[in-house]
Amino acid sequence: MAILDKTILEIHEALVKGETTPLELTKEALRRAKEDTNNAFEFINEEEALKEAAALTEVEVDNPLWGIPYICKDNFSTKGIPSTASSNVLNGYKPLFDATVVEKLREKHCIMIGKSTLDELAMGGTGTTGHLGKTFNPYDPSHKRMMGGSSCGSAAGVAAGIAPFALGSDTGDSVRKPAAFGGLVGFKPSWGRISRYGLFPFAPSLDHVAYFTRSVEDAAIILEALSGRDLHDSTSSTRKVEEYYKDLNPSLKGKRIAVLKDIVNSISNEKVMHVFNASLEAMKKEGAIIDYVEFGQEALESIYATYIVISCAEATSNDANLDGIKFGPYYEGKTYQEVMYNARTKGFSELIKRRFVIGSFALMRENQDVLFLRAQRNRAKIVERTNEILKNHDAIYVPAAPNVAPLFEGSSDKLSDEYLIADNHMALGNFAGLPSITVPLGFVDGMPIGANLMNGAFKEGEILSLSLALENLSGLKGLSINERKGGRFE
Amino acid sequence: MNFEAVIGLEIHVQMKTKSKMFSSSPNAFSKSPNTEVTVFDMAYPGTMPVVNKQAVINAIRVANALHMEIDHTICFDRKNYFYSDLPKGFQITQQFRPIGKNGYLEILDRDNKKKRINIERIHMEEDTCKQLHFADYSLLDYNRAGTPLVEIVSRPEIRNGTEAMRYVEGIRNIVVYSLTSDGKMEEGSLRCDVNVSLRPYGVKEFGTKVEIKNINSLKNIEQALDYEIARQSAMLLSGTPVQQETRRFDEASGKTILMRVKTDAVDYKYFPEPNITPIALSDEFVQNAIDTCPELYESKKARYVASGLSDTDADIILSDINMASYFESALKSAKKEKTLANYLIVEVNGYLNKRGISILDFPLEPEKLGELTNLQEDGFTHKQCVDILNYLLEEPTLSVEEARKAKGIEKMVQDDNLVLSLVTEALNENPQSIADFKGGNGRAIGFLIGQVMKKAKGKVNPADVSRVMNEEIKKR
Repeated sequence: MAILDKTILEIHEALVKGETTPLELTKEALRRAKEDTNNAFEFINEEEALKEAAALTEVEVDNPLWGIPYICKDNFSTKGIPSTASSNVLNGYKPLFDATVVEKLREKHCIMIGKSTLDELAMGGTGTTGHLGKTFNPYDPSHKRMMGGSSCGSAAGVAAGIAPFALGSDTGDSVRKPAAFGGLVGFKPSWGRISRYGLFPFAPSLDHVAYFTRSVEDAAIILEALSGRDLHDSTSSTRKVEEYYKDLNPSLKGKRIAVLKDIVNSISNEKVMHVFNASLEAMKKEGAIIDYVEFGQEALESIYATYIVISCAEATSNDANLDGIKFGPYYEGKTYQEVMYNARTKGFSELIKRRFVIGSFALMRENQDVLFLRAQRNRAKIVERTNEILKNHDAIYVPAAPNVAPLFEGSSDKLSDEYLIADNHMALGNFAGLPSITVPLGFVDGMPIGANLMNGAFKEGEILSLSLALENLSGLKGLSINERKGGRFE
Repeated sequence: MNFEAVIGLEIHVQMKTKSKMFSSSPNAFSKSPNTEVTVFDMAYPGTMPVVNKQAVINAIRVANALHMEIDHTICFDRKNYFYSDLPKGFQITQQFRPIGKNGYLEILDRDNKKKRINIERIHMEEDTCKQLHFADYSLLDYNRAGTPLVEIVSRPEIRNGTEAMRYVEGIRNIVVYSLTSDGKMEEGSLRCDVNVSLRPYGVKEFGTKVEIKNINSLKNIEQALDYEIARQSAMLLSGTPVQQETRRFDEASGKTILMRVKTDAVDYKYFPEPNITPIALSDEFVQNAIDTCPELYESKKARYVASGLSDTDADIILSDINMASYFESALKSAKKEKTLANYLIVEVNGYLNKRGISILDFPLEPEKLGELTNLQEDGFTHKQCVDILNYLLEEPTLSVEEARKAKGIEKMVQDDNLVLSLVTEALNENPQSIADFKGGNGRAIGFLIGQVMKKAKGKVNPADVSRVMNEEIKKR
């Protein structure tokens, strides 16, 4: 087994023992990135990565991230490195500054080996709408199945063993859904826990920096590295950063777990439910108390519409800066209106324009109350209900998706109950800004599935401990296509 | 006049904070284009706004001076529209919860009677970038993009150009003396948009509103409004309806000129700025902002007048905040306010005007001017003091005492015996002058008086010398 296929902690151990070097790891990661067949990369950062890795000669024993290669979603601002957000409107754009998280990882001496593909401007959940086309799920070499999105390239890269972790962003479930389809841990902490400075905004009230790892312990290590107050992001929290890794305590004894009845009831895939139920039994055996709780069918069904209205409204405003005047491709025009018109007409795909129209429509004076404000009121109601459940429970626990990664062709009726409820519920975590984590649960028909745990704001430490307990039960630590193993719940 | 004018003003004031409203970029004027710009000002993806604390403090101070209710929760909203001068495609402003509302400013109306103008709101926002349009291209200067602004919106309670001018003057005095802004209309740090409509007296409904944009001096506000009221009045009397339109004031012709006819108001699709969570201000913070506000115009004026300055003199000194602060520094050494004020208004202003410079470039330290005016209090003549002052302006490193000695200027003494002995001496030495005088040459006495003054080294009063000389010459 190649060292690169291991978890961050295992790689760190090897680095400390002198079994490998950052340069060796980086070279291997770059080789795999170049051989990638899943369309995971916008840009491979070869030159700079090699330079940085070569400079790392003295191992930092206390810094588990020293010399670790990683992949960065292409909607993070990276100084001097192309950052397109997989949109033609930003072709050739080389930012003048690093996102705070990129800077923090650099300070830890992580090596960014490349920028990964996404759904254009992070708007989408399929991993098919970026300007480089579809991103494939590495677990299906026939390239028939989706990776899921929008953080498709980051998910595919980690699942394919190119790097042990990757940065993503999560506005609806853009990390936690592809994590489920790729057998990965995908973590989105509380809104404000990690600075968003330098993350290209989709819908700031819902946007989160999130990431993929191959183990819960790694997720704790990354959280510690990325969290904290940032003077560039006034929404970042002033709360103290905890010692998430050191404080991990994987005990389920006496933990009250809420399973949302409406969600599990809407799932028709028996194999998925079999694995999920097996996980519940295993948790019970460890002393967890499982409560089936009804969230409210109507509220759950309204998540998707609420999400679309709010996110599109914010997006249409955020992306108004992409006008071809200050950066990105410039298109000629006789007037400034023509310059903007041409840049935006040629720069955005049809899908993006559709979202802008929806957002703009929802914000129009005559529509605001029945669309935008109504969505906000509904969001508040949903948040209230979520927090109500969490008041009496240590976590909400549900399947992350009703099925394995969908096929590109013949996807089902988009507005079925199953789709509306079981495919969109993770936006709850974005509405309320709560810590929400997807962990691998097992395999169905050879494809990974995952489950999601969510708890109260800024209780990252607790959700990580519960996740570690679940990971210990499933035995699915360190998954990648090179390290396939059966789960204990199958 | 058959109609009543209904006038409302929107005033944009650029704040002179160290950095911009939402970015760390320096906020200074007249630097070369596009040098005071950060990635936020150019709306690079991923940049985020961080509220400038000093701007909030300034806005609180202005709101308090205008007797407004101050919101202790600071919220910002987005105003969305596409325009080449708007880098983000939206402006961050305070649409739903302005920092201050329901205030007023007291002004003097045309008959110099007190009148209260109610103020609807004051809010913070950011400026756009500056555009320069040429025949086939435009240039953008992002230095101005993100400059902090406060906007002050009056209720439509102003009735004529004079009131409008005095209202703006009052606002300007507040923003200048609270150190919020330079308040320079000609440089655009205080910008004024005026809405005016007419209605027959006694009618409640408003007439059609015309907006006059970017008037660049106080005088022009009065002129523009007087013209516009007359224009609309003539139209209405001739049965021509007034159009809803935007006009500008042409200084050369003294007329307002049509810029564009307004169509339906733009929908700015306002919504709360998601990247700035509401900021709760503690009572302490707000109170501290108010308590530490520099002394305002009206308070200074009351103080000056109480110390013996005339109303007009106080206004002249306060018309320039730097003049006022020079005055107050000089007061530390000056014995009498009124005397100091006279020197500032006549001699110092004369010196500045002649050279076209500001008080900031006046070579003499204020304390020295104060000491100089004390000489006059001590019995030196005004002329002697001016001589010393003029010398000091050439040699500003000298002390007042050194300058006086260098010029050989002595205090005049009231000593008739001394005068008499000097006059006698002069007469004895100049028999020819006596003869000339007797012969009808009146100028001869002037020469004799000059001789006496020379002997006295300016120490005696010329009036005394003249009186004694006239008496003594007749005795010869």
